Amino acid sequence: MVVVKTIEHLSRQVSEFYNITEQVHAIVRESGVRNGFVAVITAHTTTGIIVNESLPCVEVDIHEMLERQAPLDAPYAHAHFLPSYGATSNNSQGHLKSVLTGNHCMFPVLDGKIVCGGAQDIYLVEFDGPQYRRVFVEVMGE
Amino acid sequence: MLIDMHIHPIFYGSICEDEEELRFRGDQFGVWKQGAMSDEELFAEWDICDLTKAALLPLDLTTTEGGWIVSNEQVAALCRRHPDRYIGFASVDPHRDDALEVLEKAFREHGLQGLKLHPSKQRFSPNEACMEPIYDLCQRENKPVIFHAGLSWEPNAPTKYCHPCDFEPVLLNHPGLRVCLSHFAWPWVREMAMLLMKYPNAYTDTALLYVDSPEEQMTELFTKDMGPRWFERCFPRQVMFGSNGPRFRAFKLKRALDQVPMRDYARENLYYRNALRFLSGEED
Repeated sequence: MVVVKTIEHLSRQVSEFYNITEQVHAIVRESGVRNGFVAVITAHTTTGIIVNESLPCVEVDIHEMLERQAPLDAPYAHAHFLPSYGATSNNSQGHLKSVLTGNHCMFPVLDGKIVCGGAQDIYLVEFDGPQYRRVFVEVMGE
Repeated sequence: MLIDMHIHPIFYGSICEDEEELRFRGDQFGVWKQGAMSDEELFAEWDICDLTKAALLPLDLTTTEGGWIVSNEQVAALCRRHPDRYIGFASVDPHRDDALEVLEKAFREHGLQGLKLHPSKQRFSPNEACMEPIYDLCQRENKPVIFHAGLSWEPNAPTKYCHPCDFEPVLLNHPGLRVCLSHFAWPWVREMAMLLMKYPNAYTDTALLYVDSPEEQMTELFTKDMGPRWFERCFPRQVMFGSNGPRFRAFKLKRALDQVPMRDYARENLYYRNALRFLSGEED
């Protein structure tokens, strides 16, 4: 059995941590899947999916670590006009942060619930907002 | 306060219902892989850079391509939805037989506040005889004109029609007509600076982001392509903020311009005062 749902979100900042933990847990509970896996996958290349503790100080540290790894003012090759888009995106910083965080996470599902640690919250992280964003939640099992 | 004097509302959601028309707009403007945006998404982007108003620019391609990249009526409809946020411009294909009637209707019935023309895409010279009645009408109605100038990414738009020096007779012969040669006429920035110094009715905007990051290109524009004090010393009342959306995102240009050293009065002029003067013709 496979159930796929989409979480939609309009980010309102360039960088933003959006906690989707409760939405993902609810999708699993309502999916009808008792035992299996759930995958949480972003539809974008300038966002990330991360699992971590939802404390503001932890969010600050993650944000600052990513800024150090992919600073705004680095001489990125991607900073130019893209004829195939007819636009200059100038969002390498977002692409690289997305690489660092990854595009998905997975959890086991047992007895119709996600199995996870108490501090494991799930975030959609925006790196090139504001934009409408989509996250696919796929619950697979029996 | 920030006024963006250069937005093409191609993907503004309330005028994106017809897919064939949307494809025409994208192909003619040369922009792809973007889609309709809701007001909520648009204004979220405005809010992060304190963008308060924007000039919406249509383009009439009736005789060259058989259609419009957003029509005067669509711009007027957008302005009716958000009269406090949008400044509607008109367009007209100068080679259509009813050009003057189209423009009079846009100004008098739709209340549009200026004229946008693109000599490369519309294939006309700014000095053609057919342009004189259009300039006269704009001057009589106190409506400014925005020309595309310099490089155009629109397909089928030869650059030879948009060299800034070709606009000099318009500036010279119509001193009462406020004329914006947009995009700083890039790559002819020094020619544009010369026109700004010589003609007080000449304006330009910052709607260029062609070769680098926003920070790099705005720094190059204001400190290398021009001397680092030319703007505030020589033509502080003639450069306006413009983003060229949907090609470039306004908040990234604003972020880059915030880093360019200039005096406070020059920055205020750049961000909104020059736009207000260009639109109204009145001193603030």
